[in-house]
Amino acid sequence: MREPDFSELATRLLKSGISPRHAHRTVNELRDHYDDLVDAAVDEGANSKNARLSAANELGAMDDFVAEMASRRELKTWAFRYPRLAIIVYPIACLAVLPAMPVFVGIAHRTALVRWGASLLAAGVVTAMLLLIMQLSIILG
Amino acid sequence: MAQSNPPFMSGVPELLLLRLLNEQEMYGYELVRSIKQATNEAITLGEGVIYPVLHSLERNGSLKSKRKPVNGRTRVYYSLTKKGRDRLSKLRDDWMRIQGGVATALETGANA
Repeated sequence: MREPDFSELATRLLKSGISPRHAHRTVNELRDHYDDLVDAAVDEGANSKNARLSAANELGAMDDFVAEMASRRELKTWAFRYPRLAIIVYPIACLAVLPAMPVFVGIAHRTALVRWGASLLAAGVVTAMLLLIMQLSIILG
Repeated sequence: MAQSNPPFMSGVPELLLLRLLNEQEMYGYELVRSIKQATNEAITLGEGVIYPVLHSLERNGSLKSKRKPVNGRTRVYYSLTKKGRDRLSKLRDDWMRIQGGVATALETGANA
């Protein structure tokens, strides 16, 4: 059995609808468990490569693990538990949030927004001054 | 390769986990070692299988978890809640009833 790929495992769990909280925590626990198994095998005299292979064996097949997690409805996100409801609720929620998006984006990028505002103000002042000079030159000339 | 258990073992990991956590809080690796020890290695789980069970039990309120740093690693320790103790009591009664029934059936079959 090959060594487990934990980042791939996390992706597979998320794709099968497991909530991010459970997916990431389970993968972390599983990784620690694997490290404990490797340490135990090394303590018993195995070399590093054999210890990792033995640990992967004892941990079990990742396919079985994903299937076991995916069979538990309570660990899934609500959109996977109630897909028909999600089809209705998600578009409505998106439409409701859409008008407020510029405000959220503005808050998230407030420093850029302040810089942009200051540049706009400076450009306005310069333009106004140029126009004033032109106007004065016409009046006085 | 870890020996697999027959299909009728469904539900047994849950019972064993609740039973062991009724004694003291433990993390996943400790629990698997304890199961092997407590059952004289008669029950061997694919070790990763306990995590879905633990998460489901936590989700339904039978267990609670907390993180503790131990030897440079953050362990997730599980312990039983009041609901978990009630569930353990029910599962234990169910198991004893079924075990008794199957034993009686096997003895009757053997004597027939």
